Amino acid sequence: MSEKVGVGVVGSGFMGTTHANAWRRVPYVNYLALCETLPQRLEKAKEIAFKLNAKLYTDYDKMLEDSNIHIVDICLPTPLHKTFAIKAMEAGKHVLLEKPIALRLKDAREIIDAAKKHGVKFMVAHVLRFFPEYARAKYLVEVGAIGEPRIARAYRYSSFPAWSVKGWYGEHRLSGGVLVDLAIHDYDFLRWVFMDEVDRVCALAPPPEKKVIKEITAVDHGIVLIKFRKGGIAYVMASWSYPQGYPFSTYLEIVGTKGILHVDNKSTAPLGVAKPNSYERQQVYPEDPYYLEILHFAEHVVKGVPLRVTAEDAYKALEIALAALKSALEGGAPVNLPLKEEVIP
Amino acid sequence: MRKLKAALLSFAHVHASSYARVLKELENVDFVAIWDDNEARGKKAEEQYKVRYYRSLEDLFKLNRDLDFVIIASENAKHYELVKYSLENDVHVLVEKPFTTRLDHADELIRLSRNKGRYVGVCFVMRYHSAVLQAKGMVDKGEIGELVSITTTNHGTCPYKAAHWFVEPELSYGARIPLKPGDGRFRGGSVTDHTVHCADLLRWITGSEAYEVFAEVGENIRGDLEVEDNALILIKFRNGVQASIDCSWSRPEGVYPTWGDVNLYILGTGGVIELESFNQQISLASWTRGKLEYIYWGPDVDFIMIGDFAEAITSDREPRATAFDGRQASEIMLAAYESISTGKPVRLPLT
Repeated sequence: MSEKVGVGVVGSGFMGTTHANAWRRVPYVNYLALCETLPQRLEKAKEIAFKLNAKLYTDYDKMLEDSNIHIVDICLPTPLHKTFAIKAMEAGKHVLLEKPIALRLKDAREIIDAAKKHGVKFMVAHVLRFFPEYARAKYLVEVGAIGEPRIARAYRYSSFPAWSVKGWYGEHRLSGGVLVDLAIHDYDFLRWVFMDEVDRVCALAPPPEKKVIKEITAVDHGIVLIKFRKGGIAYVMASWSYPQGYPFSTYLEIVGTKGILHVDNKSTAPLGVAKPNSYERQQVYPEDPYYLEILHFAEHVVKGVPLRVTAEDAYKALEIALAALKSALEGGAPVNLPLKEEVIP
Repeated sequence: MRKLKAALLSFAHVHASSYARVLKELENVDFVAIWDDNEARGKKAEEQYKVRYYRSLEDLFKLNRDLDFVIIASENAKHYELVKYSLENDVHVLVEKPFTTRLDHADELIRLSRNKGRYVGVCFVMRYHSAVLQAKGMVDKGEIGELVSITTTNHGTCPYKAAHWFVEPELSYGARIPLKPGDGRFRGGSVTDHTVHCADLLRWITGSEAYEVFAEVGENIRGDLEVEDNALILIKFRNGVQASIDCSWSRPEGVYPTWGDVNLYILGTGGVIELESFNQQISLASWTRGKLEYIYWGPDVDFIMIGDFAEAITSDREPRATAFDGRQASEIMLAAYESISTGKPVRLPLT
């Protein structure tokens, strides 16, 4: 394949905009398009496309006919993943797909099979693997700095974005809630670090009457125990229920047979900014992790660099997420993997 | 595009190995020569980096006529001679901080650099840190109003176990000058090593020059040093900003989980920026290593700095931190010593 590729980003929401901006900086990219099919978003999308010198499509099928495009990057709500991904693959396009891969295991498998069938490259955007501190933690474990990993904790928590109360995140059937949409970052990362498969998951989430955000149907807070096959265990806490204004926060610790490592995004933020009645810590990454992720996929497509996140990784992360959700919905009943049935119908 | 040819002069400084790594990594640079007046150290580097070692600096320049630039990571006291000799051989120079410990030396090198049409950059590496850039950008845009006061720290462990010259007055400062009357210590310790990074950031962020400096030194933390290992400095800038520097080697080496810090707490009329540049660490404690360590994952500032210096040469522009910046930071360091010696605030410029 030639050194240059064209890219079509689908969706002009927060993630679509982030990805489009990142693609614009990738040296292999010589053509950029943006697709927005929702009329109410069109003005905003026009603005973004203009800024990035990207061709704007309002019809996805038309964009797929564009022979300048080799890669389609899908940043749409999860329930749309399967249709959009498979259509792109059928058109012979390589696909970068936002996480989670899907909400049903059957859908996930169909996407993976379609990529194989049409011989296109495919990656799910598990961006945490490209965050420098998490990538370094993985490296430290790999070189034996803490010995064999035994027990880990991972937190990921924030307030629920007010603009999202009526959005799809809040709908149980559309996003799977916090135990699927947010915690999947950590499930995937932990699987990567432990280099092991999950044996059993047990999770708790506040029942509807105890929920902090009563307006939404999705699970808004959850705690998860994960047992790996070789005996490692992990705890995951994920939340959208922190008070409004609470900053997005993450924490990770991994204990092994030879030591312990911590990654805490509050204590590692190099910048604090205080103004009247506000204070925030700012993380300033040496390089935007979304850019690193997108550059990686570009290098996979152009140069055949091995994928850091395989399709099976994405499938397994979804399986853990669904097991956690199932366990929480069943009041904390342990759930064994592999999952035998769908959790979100 | 033609690759730039580079040499590294001396591995005396603890940063040299990182600079060598960067010279190997940069795609538009050929790392062609190493010089070191310590032959064993030079030969070891030759083997490690697969770059030819020269015992004679004259030979290095004679046999590398197309050399573009050198990085100097020698003992501080040798900066002047090495920068001078390199400029006389028509190469650009990136030199470790502090630029010089004498202002007449600095002035002479600045003149020589102009006459030769060769750039001199000083390794004020903090100017390349993404969080520092973000903070400076916010200040420049007026996001915290007018600057009022800035507290800075550049704490560290004492590097003498890795490189003993850091605590030898002749090599670190270039002379044996008593620290103050009735004190057995000499200049050349933490004030020499650690004042200039913060001094440079303060000048860069305030866009102003220091006009008065006051400094206090305490009794040493370590009992076995000829030079000071701690000091606190107050600075008034011409634009009214008040600032302080803690340049102490106050972190116990071998025990403390990291080498130290570069922190700035910037107060403006409309807000505060807290900059803790080296917070980007994973903390790691292991039974094998017997202690807690911070594993840094932030920006590779040496890589960005040297890459930018190469870019400056290619596009024929001044490096981000110039010889003049080096001189001005050294002047604040020298004023601090003067104040320690006299016990009084010292006015700048120094005469």
